[in-house]
This record gives sequence, structure tokens and C-alpha cells, in this order.
Amino acid sequence: MRGVLGAFHELDAAVSAIEALKENRIGAIRVYTPTPRHELEQAIGAPPSSVRRYTLIGGLLGVTFGYWIAIWTSDYWPLVVGGKPIASWVPYTIFGFEVMVLVGGLSTVAGLFINSRIPRLTMMVGYDPRFSHGEYGVWVECSPENARTAEELLREHGAVEVRLER
Amino acid sequence: MATLTQPLPARDEPRRPNIATADVQLPAVKDYEQVDREIVGTLHPTVAWFIGLGVAVFFLLIGIAAWMYQIYSGLGVAGYNPPVMWGVYIITFVFWVGIGHAGTLISAILYLFRAGFRTTIYRCAEAMTVFAVMTAGLFPILHLGRPWKFFWLIPYPNWRYIWPQFKSPLVWDVFAILTYLTISSTFLYVGLIPDIAVLRDRENISPMRKRIFSVLSLGWRNTDSEWRHFARAYLFLAAFSTPLVLSVHSVVSFDFAMSLVPGWHTTIFAPYFVAGAIFSGIGMVFTIIIPLRKFFGLRHYVTINHLDAAAKLALFTSLLVGCAYMNEWFVAWFSGNEFEKAFFANRIWGQWWWASAILYTCNMVLPLSLFSQKLRRTPAWLFIISFTINIGMWFERFVIVVPSLSHEFEPWQWTSYRPTWVDYAILAGSFGWFSMWFLLFIKQLPVIAISEVKEIVPPKLRKAHPHGIDPAGRHFEYEADTPGEFS
Repeated sequence: MRGVLGAFHELDAAVSAIEALKENRIGAIRVYTPTPRHELEQAIGAPPSSVRRYTLIGGLLGVTFGYWIAIWTSDYWPLVVGGKPIASWVPYTIFGFEVMVLVGGLSTVAGLFINSRIPRLTMMVGYDPRFSHGEYGVWVECSPENARTAEELLREHGAVEVRLER
Repeated sequence: MATLTQPLPARDEPRRPNIATADVQLPAVKDYEQVDREIVGTLHPTVAWFIGLGVAVFFLLIGIAAWMYQIYSGLGVAGYNPPVMWGVYIITFVFWVGIGHAGTLISAILYLFRAGFRTTIYRCAEAMTVFAVMTAGLFPILHLGRPWKFFWLIPYPNWRYIWPQFKSPLVWDVFAILTYLTISSTFLYVGLIPDIAVLRDRENISPMRKRIFSVLSLGWRNTDSEWRHFARAYLFLAAFSTPLVLSVHSVVSFDFAMSLVPGWHTTIFAPYFVAGAIFSGIGMVFTIIIPLRKFFGLRHYVTINHLDAAAKLALFTSLLVGCAYMNEWFVAWFSGNEFEKAFFANRIWGQWWWASAILYTCNMVLPLSLFSQKLRRTPAWLFIISFTINIGMWFERFVIVVPSLSHEFEPWQWTSYRPTWVDYAILAGSFGWFSMWFLLFIKQLPVIAISEVKEIVPPKLRKAHPHGIDPAGRHFEYEADTPGEFS
């Protein structure tokens, strides 16, 4: 994967560089930021995260399993307690709820891991420890022919360092 | 996370100096580098930390020794005297579960409510939650005659073809506590991933620590895509945790409310327990965060405004539990149930009057001082109040458990209860166990969320921002924390 990386001290400089790169259709852009910022999100214009689907599916599976395990085991060893039905839905709602939260929460984390491609054993091209400290990084994937244009755009918009990466 | 960061308000918005609001800012924190430097700087162990850890381990060993003695001798050494078969262990179990509620309240519920003052205290509260639930989970096991059979409560296929009784509140408890422990640990860890990445990148001395942080950070790179999914996952975890907080202590209250014992068999127990749990948890947050901010030099992160806002929450929950206490008296009188009336009269004027007096003084009377803004903004007073809250909430559970069992329907059964040295030793051991984990945590991982603090620190800009951020950063007026306030 080839591309150009620009490091920025200032947030607005990084935002204007992203906008310029998008305008010139250089290539796919990836931004490194020490903390999430709405300004960067808006400049990138990424679609909503799909983590919510994992949450929904996990929650539904969890609530189903919670009710099922309570009802099935009660039917398996039928024992009348307190004159209540063998399978009492009111107390079993507690299991349905707890298991829904458990499986839904864990599947949300699974969704985060799958979508973010973590755990990752090696750092990706273009990462620099500065980007967890205080600086912003803008990486644009481009062919060697476009690298010059990308570099100029990044410098023009305030990049303190620009380098070619592969 | 990302959704919490909003553009700052316009410059001409009226200023409200020194008034704690949901939008609490950090004027003394100038840039991201300062955040990394100061928070990562708290991780170096000190002599005081080693002494604290030694004391915690000492108390833990006392507790372990007492437990070994109890296993050898039988549960009789724990001061149980029929019909009082629940005592210090169940009281302390409910106490620690309650402590564990503030963490998720602060990290999840206040997150959903966009209460900015949670930012610098939530990590501490979350860690407290996990360790408090770990502590609470020990007590039902300690209370078993054969503690090595505790796993019988968990449904698993077995050769005996028998399953737990799913209509029993004790089995509900197992599910609720295990789910809460799992989700609160997950919530803590997910929030820690970006901060561990900061530690990984800042660690230049120990290759071993760098490697450990690299593994724990899962290769986090701070990309826009990671943050986008992270913010969404964090939001959904918070949304799941919120009803979970309310459900767990409701389920704990069902352990009591599902019985027919006077003083227990009441429908108000679920909200009453939840309010009490949040109240006690906030008390413990103050007990922990006030010394931490002093000894770690973090008074410009956990500012007086943060403490003020959290104290308002403590006051509110104190009023809620006070309301629940008065409602209990009213229902006992209004129901016309003689057993209930006799029980509540005994609770206030009977042999346990002193425990009730401690409870009402600590939980209802003293917190009223927090109506004073001056006292809310005095950390030393908040620290004292936090202690009284902790004591009051332990006695609340004592007053619920012991007088009810010792004063049931049949007068010939009425008896007394006196905890033994084993009870006290195991109670002390639980504090040692909790403190040991917490002290280990604060020197290995950041006690303040680095990436979230960076969200409220104005970013560096080349020129004025259309939303009113100027390149130097702009803040409300700030009341400087006075040196030596804690001495």
C-alpha cells in the first residue's frame, strides 16, 4: 500500500487538508487523531458504524437464550414452587434480560473488534506514536504519479512533516 | 466519546463563574501533550503507595486467615444464632454491590445524559465498580458451608441431570452479579484501549512494559475508522449498562423482598436499594478521588467544579433514600399490619435503636449540609461526608438484615445477634482485597481517561474557529484550587 502521510500540529489545518485531498480526488484517506473530533468526522464524511447490527443481533440471541434455558430446564425437571406454573414467564424475564445484556454487550465489543480490525499484531503503514500524543496524521493512498500533488496539498495546508510511505 | 465532543458555545454566551454545570471544563490543562505528561506521570510507584499496598495486603491476609479458620471449624464461628442466619456476610455483600453501582452510573448513565463532569472521575469510578463487585462476589461464597461447591449455582449440563431453581431469587442474583461483573469489566477495558495505546507509545524505558501495553492495546492506532466504531460501541455499551445498573440492585433487593419477613416484604425495595446503592457508590468515589487528586497532583483535572457537581448528585440520592425511609414508616403505619408496625417500632426504639440512629444521621441528616455551596466546594468536608455515607450505608444494610431476622412473627423466636472476630476479620479482609486491587490498578493504568480528557481540552488551531474556539483556548472563569486544602 503506497501513499503519502502528512503530520499536522493543528486541527483546522488537518481538516482543510482532508477537504483539499477529497476535492482533488487523490485517493482513499485515513486520519490519525489523538481523540475523536466532530470536525474530522464531518470532513471525512464516513458512513455510520455498523456496530449497531452486532448489538441488535446479540441482544436478540441473548434474550431468546435466556428464556429458553430457564423454560427448558424447568420442563426437564418439573417442580411446582409456590403454586406457580412450571415455566413462569415473570421470573424468567429476569434471565431473559440479564442474558440479553450479557450477549448484547459482548457482541457489541465483537462488532467493535471486527469493524476496527483489532487485535492487530503489527502497526499499519503510516502510524506514528505522535498521533496518540497531540498531533494529527492524514494518510492518503495514491500512486507514485499522484504523490507529488498530494505532498504539495498537504504542505500547502500546514503539514509540519510529509513523507512517502509504502 | 466522539459524540460527547460538542463545539464550544458562542463567545457572547453569559458566563456563570464558579457554578458547577454539566459542561465542566479544565482551564489549567492547555494541550494534549500536557494531558499525556501529567496523567502518565502518575504511574510511577512511590513509597507511600508501597506502604498503602502493604497495609491492604496485611488486612487481606487477616481476612484469609479468618476464612481458613471458618472452613476448618464450620460456619458456627461466624456468629450465626438461629433465626439470625444472615449477618455480616450478607450485609457486606449488599454493601459492596452497592458501592459497585456508582461506577456504571457515572460512566454510563451520566454519559448518556451528557454530563461533562463525569469525564475526569469516571475511570476511577469504573475501576472501583469492578473491584467492588469482585469483592461482593466473594461473600455469598464465604457464606456457603461448602464453598468449593459454589459452581452448583451456575446452570451447566451435568451427570446428575439437575439444574438450578430458576424461580429462586438467589439464582437470579448469580446471573445478575455475573452479568454485571462481565459487562462492567468489559466497559472498563474497552474505555482503556486508547489510553493503553498512549502508554504503549510513551513507554521508552521498559521493553517488557511496552510489550505488555502493545498486547493490551490490541494494536490500536487512533484512526478515524477505529474512533467511529469505538464511539458507537461505547454508546451501546452505555445503553446496555444503564438498565443493568438498575436491574442488579433490584435483583439483590428481591433476595429480601420475595420473603414474608416483616421489614423485607415490601414493593419499594427495588428502587430503595438502587437509590441507596448509587448514594453509597458516590460516597466511595469521594473517599477515593479526593485523596487521589491531592497525592497525584491532579487537582486541575478533578476540579472543585467536578466535586461540586458530584456532591449535588450525592445530595439528590440522599434525599431519595431519605424519602424511601420515611415511606417505609408511613406504609408500616398506614397498612394496619400489626407485625409490620411492631417491627418498625422495634427498629427505632428496640435493641437496635443505635444502628438506626447511625443510619438516619449519616444518610439523611449529615448529607443535608450539601445544600450549602460552600461545603460542596470544600474537599475536606466532602471527604468526611463520604466516610459517614459509607458507614451509614453499611448500617442501613445491618438495619435491614439483623432486626428483621431477630424479630420475626413468633415472640419465642426473638433473639439477638453479635458478630464474632471472624466476621470482623473477614470484613476487614474485604477492604484489604478491594484496596489491594485498586492500588495495583492506579499504578499500572491511567486513573483518569486520557483520550476523553483530550476531548474537552481545546485543540490547537491555526486561526479562530467558527464555533468560537480561539487558538489560545477559551474557558469559563475558574476558581483556583487552594494549596493545602486537604491538610
